[in-house]
Amino acid sequence: MARRWAGVLRSPLGASAAVLVAAILVLAVLAPLLWTDAATATDTARISQGASAEHWAGTDSLGRDIFARVLVATSLSVRLALAATAIGVVVGLLLGTAPLLVGRRAGRLVTAVVNIAVAFPGLLLALFFAVIFGVGATGALFALGLAIAPAFARLTQTTTARVAGLDYVAAARIAGVGRFRVLFRHVLPNVAEPLVVNATVAAGSALLAFAGLSFLGLGVQPPDYDWGRLLGEGLGAIYLHPAAALAPGVAVVLAGLAFNLFGEALAKVLGERRPLERPVRRTAAEPAPDDSAMLVVEDLRVAFPGVEPVRGVGFAMDRGDAVGIVGESGSGKSLTALAVSRLVDESGEVRAERLSFLGADLRAGPHRRLLGTSLAMVFQDPMTSFNPTMRIGRQLAEVACEHQGLGRAAALDRAVDRLDAVRIPEPARRAAQYPHEFSGGMRQRAMIGMGLMGSPALIVADEPTTALDVTVQRRVLSLLADIRAADDVALLLISHDVTVVEQVCDRVLVMYAGRIVEDLPSAELRSRARHPYTRALLAAVPDMTTDRSLPLAVIPGRPADPAHLPTGCAFAPRCPLADERCTATEPDLVADDAGRRVACWHADIPVEVRA
Amino acid sequence: MRELRFDDVTVHFGSRRRGVTAVDGVDLTVPAGTVVGLVGESGSGKSTLARAAVGLAPLSGGRILLDGEPVPRRGRRPLRMVFQDPYSSLNPRMTTGASIAEALPRRTADRRAEVARLLDLVGLAAEQAGRYPGELSGGQRQRIALARALAGEPEVIIADEITSALDVSIQGTVLNLVRDLQRRMGLTILFISHDLAVVRYVSDVLAVMYRGRIVESGPAEQVLADPQDPYTRDLLDAVAAPVHSGHQADRGRNP
Ligand SMILES: Nc1ncnc2c1ncn2[C@@H]1O[C@H](COP(=O)(O)OP(=O)(O)OP(=O)(O)O)[C@@H](O)[C@H]1O
Ligand code: SF4
Ligand SMILES: [Mg+2]
Repeated sequence: MARRWAGVLRSPLGASAAVLVAAILVLAVLAPLLWTDAATATDTARISQGASAEHWAGTDSLGRDIFARVLVATSLSVRLALAATAIGVVVGLLLGTAPLLVGRRAGRLVTAVVNIAVAFPGLLLALFFAVIFGVGATGALFALGLAIAPAFARLTQTTTARVAGLDYVAAARIAGVGRFRVLFRHVLPNVAEPLVVNATVAAGSALLAFAGLSFLGLGVQPPDYDWGRLLGEGLGAIYLHPAAALAPGVAVVLAGLAFNLFGEALAKVLGERRPLERPVRRTAAEPAPDDSAMLVVEDLRVAFPGVEPVRGVGFAMDRGDAVGIVGESGSGKSLTALAVSRLVDESGEVRAERLSFLGADLRAGPHRRLLGTSLAMVFQDPMTSFNPTMRIGRQLAEVACEHQGLGRAAALDRAVDRLDAVRIPEPARRAAQYPHEFSGGMRQRAMIGMGLMGSPALIVADEPTTALDVTVQRRVLSLLADIRAADDVALLLISHDVTVVEQVCDRVLVMYAGRIVEDLPSAELRSRARHPYTRALLAAVPDMTTDRSLPLAVIPGRPADPAHLPTGCAFAPRCPLADERCTATEPDLVADDAGRRVACWHADIPVEVRA
Repeated sequence: MRELRFDDVTVHFGSRRRGVTAVDGVDLTVPAGTVVGLVGESGSGKSTLARAAVGLAPLSGGRILLDGEPVPRRGRRPLRMVFQDPYSSLNPRMTTGASIAEALPRRTADRRAEVARLLDLVGLAAEQAGRYPGELSGGQRQRIALARALAGEPEVIIADEITSALDVSIQGTVLNLVRDLQRRMGLTILFISHDLAVVRYVSDVLAVMYRGRIVESGPAEQVLADPQDPYTRDLLDAVAAPVHSGHQADRGRNP
């Protein structure tokens, strides 16, 4: 937290704005102490003079030094601006948090009032209040404060509503934590950042607005003076002594800018970091001529600055193969899939000894067309994979328009046909619906349908059923199996669930810490797995025959952190068989005669001998 | 520990004519000191039922009773809930110790000792009390959430999909913990999950929910060995045999 705030100072903009704001605040405190005498000393000999070496910004109609007056005015200008902001923030917070504190109905009323007030232009509101409160600094102060309040209230409302819906707030309520404590302990600290940013920007605007009101004669009254009044006085003689108006003008602009820029810089550093959105590329037809070895991956590595989450993965797939990749989160499953479909984020570096798909070298050139036509990708969350504002049918049709050059009507027909192919009932009616009208399982099937708009040679499915329950999961999986059997499409299925992979795939690749540690036929997974990690993974998942009277087997320790891998075997810290050799040297992935591969020094210790 | 009973509970969202009935006349009893497992597909109303029990979802009909008495809707609830997502169920700005201490009754004498005892109960060192959720793994967070639910000795615990956001290797640890705590302390637990194998492992009684209704319930072995409802049979088929193409002529074609 503190580190994030400090980050503001690291950007050049933030640092200069911070220095400027600090300077203004220091000046506001010190200036009246240092220069009040100079600012009030009248010199009848020099009335309304222009800038000179003695009076940098000239003198006013009583012969007082304008530069000193501008410096001293910093105090009142800043104090008034901050006070107005404080009023706005307090009123805004009260209105904004009211919906959480009062009942549902009263809360709705407050929200409606705030929404109306927000629609009112701020300065107009201020003028209106100035008339009500009467002309003078106090009136202007309340006017500006109340003008700031609605926008701040609205911001508070929306941010607190989001946090108030989170589980930890619910947990606190259930534990009997009172409303005020919920507000002060759980809600406000977690929305503080946007509010602070907004208040800073508001202070800058208040400074400008206050100068405006004083300039118009609605703010500070003589004998007090702030920048706005000095500006008003100087403006009368602007053609004769421009410095008299320029000095307070520059002060207003500088100070206003400083607060605004500081706020912007805060916003940039603290701004919400949105999670990476995974791009989805779609598919259409055009089977490639040669596909003797459909997909070949050799020594695939994916690196990001400071980490290498995929460290030399190799496997090959033929047409109609179903290969599964299992492993814990962070083991590099998804990145491997993304690397194959060339969807790894810009910041990631993909290297490989070989990476070829349908005979084409994927390392050279973008291959958009090849991938766009022969490879389909299905992601975990089908909701984020669709555009919520477009009908499902149109979204599918778009793919065919783009890649196959079909006309709109023909493409839509094909979309309906594909929805039927993925067993969506009443496909014509469903095609006209929006994604939110589909259930999770149907959305996932529609996503697969999108992949089938062409005739892909390979479907890469990354946790396609994790968000679904067992019965729906079953339907999606058997759909994938059907497609595979009917058109000889290959399937690369990624899942953290060993059971799913075992049910659907012929071969299983087990990944740990960015490497394949075992590769074997799924039929032999339970009987012949040799890597300790594979065996631990199998034992840790309860199935319908697990003995309820015994505790489940667990894998001790934590999943490997790709940024801090131990030397030697990455699984060694959690492995019951680990010895000196394991911690010293990482074992290679070695194939046996039957093509099974395993990376473990002690793979030959028979299963029964182990504890 | 006391008995939790749902008596003809209905939860309706939205206006009377439009809107959805998420929970539709549910009768379900969680006997004192037992674990009742609730399975069902997503959207079947499991979470809504759980949230209604702790007062987070409004009842449109029926009653929720603890030993025959209505559950208090305000103040400290005798029921506690553990949530699915260990990343959103702990306040990122509070130390784990503070989160647990907050759930203790006001009159607790030595709060630090009590927090340490609870941490020990879920297998964490007392030093963990000073750490922030961001420094913990998913499994550790879920243990903290469990410790918070146990603070102040609640009557009943509701666990809603508490392992589904966890990695398989960690899921086992949390399940062992739940099972162990339940046996040692005789907790009454409503354990919700979409994973039949997980529910089977921890539950004595099994209830199956489908489209807002409980379609079947009974002793776990009996329901699993001899399912009566077609949906329960579907569910059991789904976890068994491998998936082959053309398998089971797609009986789930209904949307
Ligand atoms: N606040 C709400 N407003 C409107 N509808 C809701 C609301 N909360 C839940 N629903 C609806 O109620 C039904 C049941 O939802 P609920 O989340 O309880 O199901 P679930 O079985 O827990 O699902 P999952 O396993 O996916 O968590 C769904 O159709 C859902 O859309
Ligand atoms: S190499 Fe050693 S540490 Fe690694 S998995 Fe094999 S036995 Fe365990
Ligand atoms: Mg749920």
